[in-house]
Amino acid sequence: MALLKGTLDVLVLKALSFGPLHGFEITRWIEDGSGGEFTIESAALLQALHRLEERRLLGAEWGITENNRRARYYSLTPAGRAHLRTETAALRNSVAALAGLLNARTASLAAGR
Amino acid sequence: MKPGEIRAGVRRLFELAVRRPERAAADADAELQSLVDEQALYLMARGMPEAAARGEALRRVGGTLSESGARVHRSAEQRERRLKLHEWLEDLVADLRYAVRTLRRSPALAGAALLTLALPIGANTAIFSAVSAVLLRPLPFRDPARLVMLWEENPDFHWHQADAAPANMLDWKEQAGVFSDVAGYPDFAGTATLTGYGEPRLLNAQPVTGNFFDLLGIRAALGRTFRDAETWRDGGPPGVVLSHRAWRDVFGADRGLVGRSVQLGGRATEVIGVLPEGFAFPGLEADVWQTVRWDRSDRAQIWFRRAHWLRVIGRLKPGVTLGGADAALQAVVTRLKRDYPVTNIHMGAGLTPLHEFLAGNTKLPLLVMFGAVATLLLIACANVANLLLVRAAGREREAALRLALGAGRGRLLRQALAESLLLAGLGGAAGLGLGWWGVRMLAALQPEGMLPVHDITLSWRVLLYVSGAAALSALLCGAAPMLWTGRRVPADVLRDEGRTASGGRRARHWGDVLLASQVALALTLTLGAGLLVRSYLRLQRVGPGFDSHNVLAVQLTLPGTRYDSTRKVLAFYAELERQARALPGAEAAALVSLVPLGPSSWSSQMAIAGRQPIDGQVVHRELSPEYQRVMRVPLLRGRLLSEADRQDAPYVVLINETLARTYFRGEDPLGQRLIFDRVPDSTSNWRTVVGVVGDERQSSLAVDPQPEILEPYPQESRNGMTLLIRTANDPASLAPAARRLVARLDPLLAISSIKTMDEVRSQSLARDRFLAVLMLAFAGVGMVLGIVGVYGVVAQLARRRMREMGIRIALGARGMQVQWLVVRHGVTVTGIGIGLGLLLALAATRVIRTLLFQVAPIDPLTFMAVPVLVLLTAGLASWLPAARASRADPCQVLRMD
Repeated sequence: MALLKGTLDVLVLKALSFGPLHGFEITRWIEDGSGGEFTIESAALLQALHRLEERRLLGAEWGITENNRRARYYSLTPAGRAHLRTETAALRNSVAALAGLLNARTASLAAGR
Repeated sequence: MKPGEIRAGVRRLFELAVRRPERAAADADAELQSLVDEQALYLMARGMPEAAARGEALRRVGGTLSESGARVHRSAEQRERRLKLHEWLEDLVADLRYAVRTLRRSPALAGAALLTLALPIGANTAIFSAVSAVLLRPLPFRDPARLVMLWEENPDFHWHQADAAPANMLDWKEQAGVFSDVAGYPDFAGTATLTGYGEPRLLNAQPVTGNFFDLLGIRAALGRTFRDAETWRDGGPPGVVLSHRAWRDVFGADRGLVGRSVQLGGRATEVIGVLPEGFAFPGLEADVWQTVRWDRSDRAQIWFRRAHWLRVIGRLKPGVTLGGADAALQAVVTRLKRDYPVTNIHMGAGLTPLHEFLAGNTKLPLLVMFGAVATLLLIACANVANLLLVRAAGREREAALRLALGAGRGRLLRQALAESLLLAGLGGAAGLGLGWWGVRMLAALQPEGMLPVHDITLSWRVLLYVSGAAALSALLCGAAPMLWTGRRVPADVLRDEGRTASGGRRARHWGDVLLASQVALALTLTLGAGLLVRSYLRLQRVGPGFDSHNVLAVQLTLPGTRYDSTRKVLAFYAELERQARALPGAEAAALVSLVPLGPSSWSSQMAIAGRQPIDGQVVHRELSPEYQRVMRVPLLRGRLLSEADRQDAPYVVLINETLARTYFRGEDPLGQRLIFDRVPDSTSNWRTVVGVVGDERQSSLAVDPQPEILEPYPQESRNGMTLLIRTANDPASLAPAARRLVARLDPLLAISSIKTMDEVRSQSLARDRFLAVLMLAFAGVGMVLGIVGVYGVVAQLARRRMREMGIRIALGARGMQVQWLVVRHGVTVTGIGIGLGLLLALAATRVIRTLLFQVAPIDPLTFMAVPVLVLLTAGLASWLPAARASRADPCQVLRMD
């Protein structure tokens, strides 16, 4: 299943909050962590990474992977960490709201509040 | 930023090649490839066969490789662009911080540089505000680009862009076919006395044709403006439109005023409207606007085509070009010449865009002043550049060390630029403040009517100009130190054994170049100012032909409604003159229709009995017999006018010397007969010449006296006359008594103006004086900057050669000899600057040729005196630091290093 729009950025930031990772490691963190529920397309991931780097939420440098290949390692900047915090809270709220709606038992407009 | 973390920018800096877009794309490709590879390896490690693993990895890219590649390229390139901008801004902030620190370390230098920049930028702001208001801003009317000024010309009379005759104007309007409308207004405003609102009050009244406001696209704020039909007497009762200011100040902003009547000139007149606030037509300062109110039958009258007294504006039809309009106008002119040969045979016509016409003779003085302040700014930039250069030379080792440690040369240059940018920015801000004040000064000091005072503001255009000027100054100030810093090889500098004395040979060279150009510009400016000042002094010394000292001039206009017959007018003025003569302190009194050197004059055609028609103009005035005695104008031949030259006596005139010389060369002018018509007919009123008097300059001190005829005022009576009183003492002290006298004779009569003739004379030179004084001020500042520049450079040199001077003195050289070592340098560079400046001035002063009176653009005296003065001052400025350096104790100097 594809990710909801906008959640990829948050998940990338979350993945990097534990330390620098290269692109495929981020993919694996998300895919494995979601039990295979979410799949990440490589191009979309790179675009997200570029976008975040452009906003200076990430830093990047070239490094060597365990498989002895060149890859760019990304890490969170302080701005990225702060951004992760606010976005996480926002995402939690919308997930809760979404869940509330999906659990609704009535169509009445007045009854909700 | 936490310790231990490295800025992203720095990391990127070491990852050397991320800068270019194609490199960013290649990186993105590599990254995408690495993702695919890692995915494949991962899948293979999970037991998938290699081919299948590769296929799956590629599938999970999300689209074809080339299409995904393109997307990733775009995002990577955008990232690079943004990050580069960020880093650039961060560097800029760091550079500016560094600049602030360096400037704070040398507050004297910073202060000097700031002041040096702020003053000229302030002057630029003020002058450019005026330029913007007069020359650049579109006129505040509807579609102003389509507005033109139409005028008549007559090469035989030397008329150019002259007033038009009403009949000709109406024919242009109806026959040319290229104007959507044509309107006219007399060049001279009238006055109207308002009664019934406190003291009788004289208001400026401006007649216009009925379509004037509609043509401009101006709607009334209250009521309405005129209708086209109100041009004519049969177009309804006369009404007035008030200016917003008059409505507010005179009538207390009474909203109920429209539709009511006020007493103007003794007649009840309906107020039909009030103009919007801020409406102003350049050159017209009216309180009340009226229509011209011609009779339909006037169109057939010869005077309606012969008397030229209208300024004419037109609005071009859409799609009509200036050239097309002119062609159509010329066709009408040709037809009029054929149809009305008596009046129109010599009359041509033309048109000019309205804004160009209105800028008129303000344009050149303004541009000259603008050129002067721009030059001033250049001088200031050279000065600041030199200051920064000296400092940069002092810090050469620091720069070399940083270069050797791997700092980019570009970065060093940027730091130098940041410093001058900071200086120019602060200087610009301070200059803007000074300029705001300068605009007020300009408005206060300017000769009346030269600049649209209410309209000079700090507009966006001015702000843009000042920012531009400041940025340019930053570049100019920073350029020299930058060029120089950029060239030095660090190893050379560092090898110099820590002795700053031998460093900066090139810096000195640059400094000299700057100094020479500074002197050249300052000299040009001073030469220009010198010419204008000399021209003004010449003008001031011109004899006007009369003695302006101790004469009071009281200008009056009798309202035609109450003074409706020649008898009443003459009776009033005769009584006024008689009683004025009896005022305590008055020695003599006279009446004249127009004072000389005033703003206007009447001119006419002339014919001499028994001669061919003369193609020439004469000016004429009406006066009382005492005029020449009051003004001390000599009688050359014949007699003056006398009380006997009454309305019913034979018509006589005086002529001035120029008229006698021009038309009666070798003949006796006395007894000759003249008329004010080019071609006499049976109704012509011949006048006999009874005397020849000395020339007076009529319109301006700069213009030679014109042929003039002086008539006894009872024989050509006018409602507007000026009472002249010659006094024993200060004429101004007689003004209150003169006011009381007028009030006693007619309590409802308002006085147009009371001035001394000295004031009239001085005001006629106001424009020349304004320009000369401002230019002198600019040149003065420029010269001070130039001399300070000389001083600075020589002082630097003297400090550097102190050791050498000390040695020479210790070895027995005389003070003067040693001082000459450095003075020579200052004088030589100044000399080169003077040479360049003279060349520059040869070209530059040609521009102000038309502003000069009896002074050649290359005036030998100015061109000799100014350079000598500059050289002497520069010598002195060089000698001061030299003398100080040479007086220093040799023992101490030698121990200095």
